[in-house]
Parts: sequence; C-alpha cells; structure tokens
Amino acid sequence: MKTILIPILSTCLLISATAQDANEILKRVERNMSSDNRIFESSMIIHGNRASRTITSRTYAVGDKQSFTEYLSPAREQGTKMLKLENQLWIYSPSTDRTIQISGHMLRQSVMGSDLSYEDMMDDRKITEIYDSEVTGTEPVDGRNTWILDLTAKVTDVAYHKRKMWIDTERYVPLREELFAKSGQLLKRTSLSEVKQIEGRWFPMKVIYKDMLKQGDGTEFVITSVKFNQSIPDYIFSKAALKQ
Amino acid sequence: MIKFLFKGLLRDKSRSRLPIIVVAVGVMLTVFLHAYIVGFMGDTIETNARFSTGHVKVMTRAYSDNMQQIPNDLAITGISSLLEDLDREFPGFEWTPRIQFGGLVDAPDESGETKSQGPAMGFGMDLLSESSGEAERLNLQKSLVRGKLPGSPGEILLSETFSRKLKVNPGERVTLISSTMLGGMAIHNFTISGTLFFGQEALDRGTIIADIEDVRMALDMEDATGEILGFFLDGFYNDDLALSEADRFNATFGSVSDEFAPVMKSLSRQGGMGTYVNLAKGWSTYISLIFIFAMSLVLWNAGLLGGLRRYGEVGIRLAMGEEKGHVYRSMIIESVMIGIIGSVFGTILGLSFAWLVQEYGINISGMMQGSAMLMPEAIRARITPPDFYIGFLPGIAATVIGTMLSGIGIYKRQTARLFKELEA
Amino acid sequence: MKLAIKLAFRNLIGAGLRTWLNVIVLSFSFVIIIWLKGVMSGWDQQAKTDMTNWEIGGGQYWHESYDPYDPFTFSDSHSPIPGEFTGEIEKGDMEPYLIAQGTIYPQGRIQSIMIKGINPNQSIFMLPAHKLDTSMTDAIPSIIGSLMAKNLKAGIGDRVTIQWRDNQGTFDAAEILITDIFTVSVPAVDQGQVYIPLDRLQSMMGLEGEATILTYRNSESPVVDVPGWTHKPKEILTAQVDEMIKMKTTGQSVLYAVLLLLAMLAIFDTQVLSIFRRQKEIGTYVALGYTRRQVVGLFTVEGAMYAVFAALLSAAYGLPFLAWQAKAGWTMPVDASDFGMAIAQTLYPVYSAGLVVSTVLLVLLVTTVVSYWPSRRIAKMNPTEALRGKIQ
Repeated sequence: MKTILIPILSTCLLISATAQDANEILKRVERNMSSDNRIFESSMIIHGNRASRTITSRTYAVGDKQSFTEYLSPAREQGTKMLKLENQLWIYSPSTDRTIQISGHMLRQSVMGSDLSYEDMMDDRKITEIYDSEVTGTEPVDGRNTWILDLTAKVTDVAYHKRKMWIDTERYVPLREELFAKSGQLLKRTSLSEVKQIEGRWFPMKVIYKDMLKQGDGTEFVITSVKFNQSIPDYIFSKAALKQ
Repeated sequence: MIKFLFKGLLRDKSRSRLPIIVVAVGVMLTVFLHAYIVGFMGDTIETNARFSTGHVKVMTRAYSDNMQQIPNDLAITGISSLLEDLDREFPGFEWTPRIQFGGLVDAPDESGETKSQGPAMGFGMDLLSESSGEAERLNLQKSLVRGKLPGSPGEILLSETFSRKLKVNPGERVTLISSTMLGGMAIHNFTISGTLFFGQEALDRGTIIADIEDVRMALDMEDATGEILGFFLDGFYNDDLALSEADRFNATFGSVSDEFAPVMKSLSRQGGMGTYVNLAKGWSTYISLIFIFAMSLVLWNAGLLGGLRRYGEVGIRLAMGEEKGHVYRSMIIESVMIGIIGSVFGTILGLSFAWLVQEYGINISGMMQGSAMLMPEAIRARITPPDFYIGFLPGIAATVIGTMLSGIGIYKRQTARLFKELEA
Repeated sequence: MKLAIKLAFRNLIGAGLRTWLNVIVLSFSFVIIIWLKGVMSGWDQQAKTDMTNWEIGGGQYWHESYDPYDPFTFSDSHSPIPGEFTGEIEKGDMEPYLIAQGTIYPQGRIQSIMIKGINPNQSIFMLPAHKLDTSMTDAIPSIIGSLMAKNLKAGIGDRVTIQWRDNQGTFDAAEILITDIFTVSVPAVDQGQVYIPLDRLQSMMGLEGEATILTYRNSESPVVDVPGWTHKPKEILTAQVDEMIKMKTTGQSVLYAVLLLLAMLAIFDTQVLSIFRRQKEIGTYVALGYTRRQVVGLFTVEGAMYAVFAALLSAAYGLPFLAWQAKAGWTMPVDASDFGMAIAQTLYPVYSAGLVVSTVLLVLLVTTVVSYWPSRRIAKMNPTEALRGKIQ
C-alpha cells in the first residue's frame, strides 16, 4: 500500500508544485525552440495515395514573423520560393515567373499535399499569448519524463481551441502535441523526436504531423541541418528576393 | 398467279396507287416517329456522354469510387500503352483521355501582382491534335462568345461569366494554381484564347478548358490521365453493347486487389445516368407502341376502304363466274403485296426523313436563349436497327386484316343480284 | 345546316367499322396529346412544387455575398436577421437558414459538405426537420437526403464526424447522429447537404441570430428592400426548370404533329373514297337544287364530324383514364430516385381547361381542313355525269 501511495503522492506534489509554472515551462520551451534567427534545411516526406514524396527546402527565419523558404528538390519544385511576412504569404514559381499572394481561403489549402495547411505555418503568435496553460499530469513519452500541459485558448481567433502538450521535464522540448476542436474532438497529433543538442539548445529534428480524422500515414518533417544566430541579410525578406 | 396479280396492281393505278401511298405514309410516320423519339429521349444521354461520362469511361478503381471528388491523385498512369490496348481490343470506340481538375485562376495586373482570383473547375481534353473530335463533340466553336479556340499549346478557354468576374480578356495571361497528381503545388501560365457559354449556371461560374497536354504539364501527369472516355463510332449510346464491352474489359484488365487497376464503366453505371437510360427506353417503347397501334388502325381502315373501292370490280368478277374463294384469296395476296410495297417505300421514306433530322436536326435554338453548350440547339432523330423493320408488321398485317374484313362482303353477295347492283 | 349534320351523322353511322376506326385513331390523338401535355405541365408543376416545398418556398432573400456555387463565400455570407422580418418569422411564414462550409469524414474518407441550420419547428419545407428536435446532447442530430446517405454509406442511427470552422476560424468537430433520411427529387437539397438544428449551428459558429437565406412562404408577399440582402423571387429561382420544360415541350410537339398526321391520313383516305363512291349522291344533291358549295359543305361537315365523334369517344374512355392518371399519377417504369434532375418517381398530369379546349379545337380545325380538301373536287364535277354515276 505504501509503495503505491508514494508515487501517487509525489505526482500530486509535483503537479501542485508546477501548476502555476505551466507558463514558465512554456516560456522555457519557447526560449529553447525559438531563436532570433535560424537557417535550416529540411525534408518533408508526404505519404500520398500512390507514393511517398520527399521535398527538401532551405529556410531562413528571423523571429517568428519573417521566413523565407526555397525549395531545393524534387526538380519540379526546385526554385519555388515562399515568403512570409507577418500575416502575409507569397509564393513565387520560377516556371511561371509569377508571385502569387496566398490569401483568404487559399491559406486553408494543404502545403504541397501534406497534412499541414499554409495557415498552420502562419500562426506566429507566441503560445503563451494566446493560450492559458495548466500542467495536468506527467507521463513518460519515448522513455522520457514529460509534463502534460493543457492549453485553452484565451483569444477567439485561433485555429485550435485546445491543445495538449507533452514536454520533456529536463530538456524543455515538446515531444508530443495534440490539437483539439472546440468540442474536444482530437483533430491532429504531432510527434516530435530525435531531440539533439545544437549550439546549446535541445531541438527535435523530426516531426510527424497526422490528421486524425483522415486515413493516411501523415507527414514527416525532418530537419537535416540547423544553424542559429546567423547573419541573414534583410533583403531576403522582400518580394524582390523571390524572383532571384 | 402472283405475277399476274402484281402486273394487275402495276397497271391498274386505282387499285394500287392510293392504298400503297396510304400504307407508305403510315409506315413512314411510324419509322420517323420511332427514330425521332429515340433521338429526342437520347439527347440528354448524349449530352451527358459528351460532357462527362462518355459512352464508357475507363478510370482506376479508386478513382471511380470517389468520382465526385475528381481525385487526380488516383489517376490512371501508363496510358499510352493502355490507349494502344484499347484501340486494338476495343476498336468499336473512339478513345479520348480527359482530365478534370479543380484549382484557382489568378489574373495578374500590369506589375504581375494578383489582380483577381477565382476558384475554377477545369477540363483538360485533346484540343490540338488533328484527329481529335473533342472540340466538335462539345460544340466548342458554336459556344464561343469571344476569341477563338486554342490553336497552340498554352492556350485556354474560360467561361464568359468567369472571364468577366476576373476582368480578363482573350489574349491575356492567367495563372492556374492547382495541385499535381502527387499532391505538389502546380502553378502554370495560360493565355486566354476565348470565352464560352455553357448555359448552366454551375459551369458558367468558373470553368476552364485547356488542351490535355498543357494540363498534363501543369499537373505533372505525364502519360497519365484522370479518365479515358470511349465513344461509339456511330456517335450514339447503346446500353447493351456498352455493358458487355465494359464487362469484357474488366475481365481482362481489371483487378480486385489493385485499386489502381483500370475499370471500365458504361454510361448507365455512372451516377444517376442508369435511371435515365431506362427512363428513355421506357418512354420510347410506350410511345412507339401507342403509335404502332394507332397506325395499325389507320392501315386497317385503309384496307377496308381498298376493298370497298373495288366493290364494282369484284361484282363483275363474280358475275363472270369467278369463284368467291378465288376472288377473296387474290385480294388478300394483293393486299400482302400492297403492304410489302407500301412498307418498303414507307420505311425508305421514313428512314430518309429520320436521317435528315438526324443529320441536321430540328432547330430549336430560336426558342432558347443564346447558343449554349449544354442545351441542344437542335432536336435530332436517331436511326436504330428497329427502324428498319418496325413499320413492316403493322404495315402488312393491318392492311391484310382490313382487306380480309372488307372481303367478307364478297361471300355475302348473291350472284343473282349482282347484275342489278352493277346496273345501278 | 341542320340537315347537313343529320345527313352526315347517318352516313357515318351507316359506314360502321370504317367510321369507328377513324374515330378511334382520332380519339387517340385527343387523349394522347392531352395526356402528354398534361404530363409535361404536371412535370413542370411537380418540379416547381417540389422546389417550393423543399428548397425555395415562395421566394427567398439571400445574403448579398452568398453564392451557392462558391463555397468560399459561405464564411462571409451571414448577418443578423433583419428586424423587418421578425413578425413574419414569429408567425412561421419565414424561415432562416444558416449555411456553413464543412467537411465530413465517412470511414476516414474526406468530403466537403454544406452544413445547413434549419429550425426544427419549421413548416415551410417538407424536410423532416422535426426529427432534429431531440434532447440528445452527445451528438448533433441531423437529417440528410437519400443520395447523400448512399454516398456516405450511412443509415439512420449512424454517427459520422464532421468538422467545421467557426466564425473566428477555430476548428471544431463533432459527431452527427443521422436521425432521418429523406427522399427528395430536388438534388440541390440532397447532395452534399447536412441539416442540423439552426440554433445549434448558430452557436457552433458563434453566429447567434444570424442567417444566410431567408425563405418566405407566400410568393405574393410584398417585397421588402433590405440592405445587405438580395431578393430572389420564385421565377428567378425556377428559371432552369422553365428552360428544361420548354425544351421538352418543343420536342414533343413533333410527336403531336405526327400523331395528327396519322389520323388525318385516315380521314383523308376515307373522304377521297366516299367522294369517289358517292358521285350519284352528289349528282342527286345538285339535281335537288343544292349549290355546289352546299354539297362541299355537306361532305366537309361529314368529315369534321369524325372529330366530334372522336371527342365524344375520347370523353367516354379518355376522361376516366385521364382522371385516373391525374389521381394515381403516372409512375415511371424505372426507379428515378437517384436521377440528378428534378423529377419524381410518379408524375401527376395536370390538365387545364385551356389545354383540353385548345386540343379539341385544333383537332376539329385540322379535321375540317382535311375533309374539305378532297371535297373541293365535287365543285369541279359535272352534275349530270355525276348523277349518272360516271366516274370523272
């Protein structure tokens, strides 16, 4: 009896001890995950009906507001560029030499056939600004201890009303995230893995997105290289840079 | 004796001319009407066939299960060899690939920025190769509102309403944004060659038509297509044949396990078209039956009249001592001849008229507003095998029955009174 | 004239079977033309009645940015129900619809849908909306059409997940419970449509008190000019039906023409023969002091009398037939349930007095002309020769 009680008690203690710190946890996660700027190369593996496709790209990002992505392969996508400034998004396609603004309903379309929409990539507000959070428990994920954080939107204009995050208690890296509808229905699940220490921060190199309502294997996102705090020239974040 | 009677018919115009004309006209009307009703009822079927279903359609099994969503990620690949197979194994059809797709059409302003955008439904079809009959099939030329049909790669047709909405004109460029067969982003430039009027609001709102090669390039569908449409060479839907050919195809090329294996579906197995096919069959049969019945009555009457017309002649023949049975039989044989000759002429005439109405149609576009792709501008007849024999049965049977009935009077006439009758 | 009619009557009755064959054929023309035209106008009425009962009521007001062909407009096409209509809505003479775009996930597949919020107590539409009125809370009660059910492979009592985004763009999802499936001949009401209670959709979307479409019951209601709303009278909403019926009617008139031609063929043949056979009679009339025109008139009356007889005969068997058809309807020989056009399984022909009268007059006129035509020959006859029965 005693042996059972102790872990439960300690869990309760842990929760009460950390409840008010949920925000603190998220802030530490943000500090860990975001940076002033970064350059990374990634591949996105999309499992389609017929075949899986791998799309590689290089992204330059400053803060959360500005990012510039250039697709490297496959040949068909090579040279396609995407620029995001605040809440605007442009795509440039070299074959047509057109820069097209993605707006309105187009934002809800999937990116390159993946389980991600443009909109999913657009929301750049800090999690702590739009969600109230609370630690509701602990759970081991992939052999690591995590806090379970329940996030509830405190503003109305968010895509997901509720989120649940599993955060590594040591490294302050999310290992799993679930996105819920207002009704509480699970819509999407994100699994993060291959956490590596890069330039002193812990960073998950692999992310799997899965739309839970739809059949399919989801979309894998693998970061092949990442560099933080580089000097990125400002002109990259301009529409003129798209055409270069 | 037959030869003798035949000569008699030929030489005595009063005996033959009017009855034959009446039988011929009656048969002609029936044959024409049957062809007309089949054509008229079939028109909706053909419009659907031309526009979306084909007489038969080949697609992947997975595509056919989700047809409404136009899932190009489930398109058929390796179609050049499949088309060869189809041409070889199913030469009764003209095969043509089509790609339906959805997307967004974006029109740029002078500086290349987005001026206007709108969601579009697209059709990729063979517009440029010499042998393709697609433009004629869809009556594109007549549905043109402005501009011309695509004459070279990279040209596109927009529905007129859509072009007005986007504020673009023939000669200007637009960009199509869609997704490739594999789900990637497809961005492709087109030059508007002309605009079209479809006559159905849903299509007029946002339809684009482009050459299939351009669409393949745009959607990364090399050697692939969403659907392959098959059209009977005579241009008309034949449900029984379509069903049996589809079965034959599926037995050879189909596969239960592979969802990307091709399947062939007849028009009647696509959407609600089966119901309409049956409906058309039902109506055509009903109306034809009623007509055949009515015509039988008319020809029956004509037979009666024919007998009466020759009252005097019969009287003389009886008075001369010809046997009643002989007179009766010879009249019946004559009526068979009249029936056959009349039916042959009638069928020929009926078929000729039907052919004219099949080729040229009865123009009703004046009654409809404008020339629209989906509204028939002419009602056409359609000659089917039954037209070649449908007139004969009533044409011969009714004439003979009429003669038989009127001939009964022969037996009632008393030889003794004949001369008195003839004197009068 | 009276004598002419009497004579004509005697002659026709005397001819026996020949007369009756002509009369039967001609009466066919009557009955079939009236019946087919009746079916057409019945179709027209049925299509419009069904649209009225299921889709458009007496007419509608659309939110100005609503475009049924562009689902992207749905998220912006709603606003509070104008105060002008409060009275009508309270009386139940106007029903608001709220429309939202959504996605449905039957068996892991994904499909776009239109979610329509409808008042469960409404009485304008024939939709079984009362089936939405349940106290159930764990799933959203919904009704769908039979085409949609077939498409989803779902039945009554099944649960399916739907997803939508509220007014603010927040994702939401829930299960719907199919409480009823209805069969309707208006595909726009069925395909891709999911009906749920209006208040439920309003709160799901965060659009309390708002609507996309307002449908009123009485097509004679005065038109109110409300800013932000576009009035769509019934005539505009049913324009496509008119177009289709017009096409079909035009196509059918060829059929009537052929049918009449056939009947006329019989009458013409009969007339030619009777003039040929009755030369002596004609000669006698002339000898008795009839003018030739009067004799021609006599024969014409006789011919035209076929039409009168035919009308009587048609009335004898046609009236019960047509009446029975109008009551029992004409059921298509095939299952029309999944036909993508406004057509019901059973059509009820509708005959107007104008239709019957115009058909009778038309047949009478045509018969008279056809009877007169061969009779003209009489005028050219030499009366003495005719009297002697010499064939001319």
